[in-house]
Amino acid sequence: MRSLLRHFLWAPVVLCAAISLQAQDTTRTMEKVKVTGFKKKNPFDDRLPAQSLSQQTLQQVNAPTVGDAARFFSGVQVKDYGGAGGLKTISVRSLGASHSGLLYDGIPVSDVQSGQTDLSRFSSNNLQSLDLYQPNPSVSLLPARAFSSGSVLAMYTPSFNVAALTRNRWQAGVRNGSFGYWQAFGGAAWILPRNTILSFYTEGVSSEGDYPFTVINGNLSEKTKRNNSRLRSLQGEINLSKQFRDSSSLQLKAWSFVSKRGLPGAIVFFNDRSVQQLYNRDYFVQTRYVKSISENTSLLIAGKFNHAYTRYRDPDFLNNSGGLDDRYRQNEGYLSASVSQAVSQNITAALSADFAYTTLHANKSNFAKPSRWSNWDNLLLSYADSLWQVQGSVLWSYFQDETKRNNASVSRNKFTPAFSLSRKLGLRSPLMLRAFYKEVYRMPTFNDLYYNFIGNTSLRPELARQYNFGVTYSAHAKGTAGHFSASVDGYINRINDKIVAVPSQNLFVWTMLNLGKVDIKGVDVTAEAGGAFGMITWNARVSYTWQQARDITDPSSSSYRDRIPYTPDHSGSGILSVAYRKWTAGYSAVLSGTRYTIGDNSSFTQMDGWGTQDVFVARNFSLKQLHLQVKAELNNLADRRYDIINLYPMPGRSYKIGFTINQ
Amino acid sequence: MKTTSLLIALSLFVFVSSCNKDDNPAPETPEVTTGLYVMSEGNFSGSNTMLTYYGFSDNKATTDYWNSVNGSGLGGVGNDILLYGGKIYIPMNVSSNVTIANAFTAKLISKIEFTDPASGAKREPRYAVGYKNKVLVSSSDGTVAVIDTTSLTVDKWIKVGANPDGLAVSGDRLYVANSGGYNPVFDSTLSVVDLNTMAETQKVKIGVNPGFVAADNSGNIYVACGGNYADVAPSLVKFSTATNSVVKAADTAIGKIRYYDGLLYATGGYFGSKNVRTLSTTDFKETRSNFVTDGTAIINPYGVNIDTETGDVYVTDAKNFVTTGEVFCFDKNGKKKFNFSVAPAVGPNTVVLIRQ
Repeated sequence: MRSLLRHFLWAPVVLCAAISLQAQDTTRTMEKVKVTGFKKKNPFDDRLPAQSLSQQTLQQVNAPTVGDAARFFSGVQVKDYGGAGGLKTISVRSLGASHSGLLYDGIPVSDVQSGQTDLSRFSSNNLQSLDLYQPNPSVSLLPARAFSSGSVLAMYTPSFNVAALTRNRWQAGVRNGSFGYWQAFGGAAWILPRNTILSFYTEGVSSEGDYPFTVINGNLSEKTKRNNSRLRSLQGEINLSKQFRDSSSLQLKAWSFVSKRGLPGAIVFFNDRSVQQLYNRDYFVQTRYVKSISENTSLLIAGKFNHAYTRYRDPDFLNNSGGLDDRYRQNEGYLSASVSQAVSQNITAALSADFAYTTLHANKSNFAKPSRWSNWDNLLLSYADSLWQVQGSVLWSYFQDETKRNNASVSRNKFTPAFSLSRKLGLRSPLMLRAFYKEVYRMPTFNDLYYNFIGNTSLRPELARQYNFGVTYSAHAKGTAGHFSASVDGYINRINDKIVAVPSQNLFVWTMLNLGKVDIKGVDVTAEAGGAFGMITWNARVSYTWQQARDITDPSSSSYRDRIPYTPDHSGSGILSVAYRKWTAGYSAVLSGTRYTIGDNSSFTQMDGWGTQDVFVARNFSLKQLHLQVKAELNNLADRRYDIINLYPMPGRSYKIGFTINQ
Repeated sequence: MKTTSLLIALSLFVFVSSCNKDDNPAPETPEVTTGLYVMSEGNFSGSNTMLTYYGFSDNKATTDYWNSVNGSGLGGVGNDILLYGGKIYIPMNVSSNVTIANAFTAKLISKIEFTDPASGAKREPRYAVGYKNKVLVSSSDGTVAVIDTTSLTVDKWIKVGANPDGLAVSGDRLYVANSGGYNPVFDSTLSVVDLNTMAETQKVKIGVNPGFVAADNSGNIYVACGGNYADVAPSLVKFSTATNSVVKAADTAIGKIRYYDGLLYATGGYFGSKNVRTLSTTDFKETRSNFVTDGTAIINPYGVNIDTETGDVYVTDAKNFVTTGEVFCFDKNGKKKFNFSVAPAVGPNTVVLIRQ
């Protein structure tokens, strides 16, 4: 316990130092580094809770993928199965992974099969910013589907805002780290005639993931290494964008991800055999057209085709055909149209309509082969003046399933309202109060409904109600002082008809049921500060989450009012970075309190809290027009051994060295 | 600013003080006298199988007795426990070994790896029965292991059908239910093994997805068939070893089945009755639709074992397989004698009596 305490005490010391440093007013002007002219709303000045990690921050924390970066947002719990190849999914404000939406350059990413996208497949290296919105971005011109989830994690690549590109650019780099980690990447953007820009980015990752850990089993505990955790992945995208004379713009993106990884599985005492493999081959093409029809009217049209191929191979599976070799092919076509109309100086109305058609094929016998028509229509009305921002909206969701075999779910539809408002305390006041209410209707996934034996076609959709009250503070001092922004949001969420898997005949056979009612209360705190003293500039970010998500399904159950699994009461993160001439250095920490492995809370199902700390130092060099950077990272520097998911050990101390060059 | 730093310092303080789990006092380790062992399988990938010892002298349950005696856990999914010749044999399904201990101390004697040496794949043992100086263990990889009770090594891996499950000895023959449960189309056969030659002599068609097996003392085998969860319903089948044929089959859903004193004691499994029933061995009619007569409520009767000396019936309640389980003891009339919790153990499946 004492050594554990020492690990945790580190963090507050550094974080408090960051706060007090920032209190000292400095005499130098602090310019925020702007890599491009990518313009966004200040997240601390928004009607809806929003958090943002800039490219600069993403490069400074130990976050090779979006799944790793999401740990730094308040309100987010990342389920991480460990290592570079470990699956990573997020639950925002305890609503569950299926309630978090994803946008890639403004267009939804979906997975109707499982309802949750593995965030380890999106590299953070090519992102201009990673934003988290609760419940959705506050802009009006948005696809209707972006209004359909409890939160939205939005990834923006440099190609989202091509106006920022003023000359041809290219970049390349390589990183090497512990446990056989190699990452190589490269990209370029060319300005072509007629306001056309062509760009590409590609990245390959190879990792053995054979990090050491200890099997903790009394006097038979042993030190060993993860095996079957090798990852090979390759991703890439090509973008073509064109700005037309009438100031409308068209973007076209082709994206692809290919990977092969071992699934090392949970630690099992006396059995370290692990041969399961997961293969992914995904691609999508998407297009986005934005046009201002008049001064008051804007139009957004988007389309996408997505293909996801998943293969799960278990040669040890004891069937008569030499193991398991499951292959799933999911296809989705998607169309969206939105129009926004300024009705008066203060009032805007917007209407969006989205359609998607999704199919799932599998090589399993008796597989249902489901397909789904989805339709979302969203109507919103917003009012804004210098003090008030008010928005009301209503979303219509409609789902109709068909199956080739067995029964299909009946069609489902619902109107769900949302309402939000904010008020600045004064025209020059840095303080703003905000509140929102939103209902979220979550259709069961194909796995929930149609998975052989486990699926249950009579499942009802989940209904979540979100209430949020918050206050934000945002001060950007001109001249000598730095900036400080903070937000505190309290929230209450209620989930009805929560879909849970329960063991049925025995521990091997589970089934899906609408079992749950969950009562969630929480507070998210986020603060950012920056400044300069002397030649040293610094930036700090702190997030903290308090939440209690309790199962209130059945008063007679032993888990009644117990906490839902893997949801700590306290969690948080901190980032501090300093720059001096050509040097930058930083420290970051992620912390989590105790949590429970199952809904039945007891000291035996409780897991230790954990905390990791990372440091880095980087040096920039200029060679004529070339910019070089050499960066060294030491991650989990206290070598904390911990599990996020029970019996899935996480890596201990590791290093990474990177070299990038760009022009 | 000050308030912010105060708030953060405060929250981090709260955080630090809540980051370690509650401590559990180490349980005392009583000596084994006369009492019960309860095997609780735990969660599928939880490596939390536990053995409970319940002493009749002080009516006290000690879970995790195995860990207190041996200083380490049993591993993943203890599927069964067999008391035979002064030793206990525990088929550990997910850890894939058979753990053998002294029955009167629970001290580990040996652990036999259940791994196919050719492929390296795990065999996944399921159930164990004793025969003369051998213990026979079915494994999901299609084998029955013959363990010598003196040398504690495997003499032979007898090849049977797909994914064998329950097994029972009648005369000089072993009957093994081939469930085929890992396949899209289930198996439907019962393997007959000659225990003199230790080889399978035939496969008999018995019913779709055969699981648990029980033998009576007049040469009959009872097999609980699970059906295919679609158009074939679960059934109970009676097989005569004398005529080598099925003599009775009836649609009824059964999880586990035991024979005692002219009656069959059956749990309902997931699809069947939520009560422990007693059935006639001849026409399978319910002699009691609920064996329990005093209104004792059991949420999910997962295992049933009978003390052949007293006729006492032990029922393990696995609840929802995730929360901690409970064990009930009834007299032969279905009146509760006592019950105890096996907390923190999950999924109790088998009770064995230990007398010394």
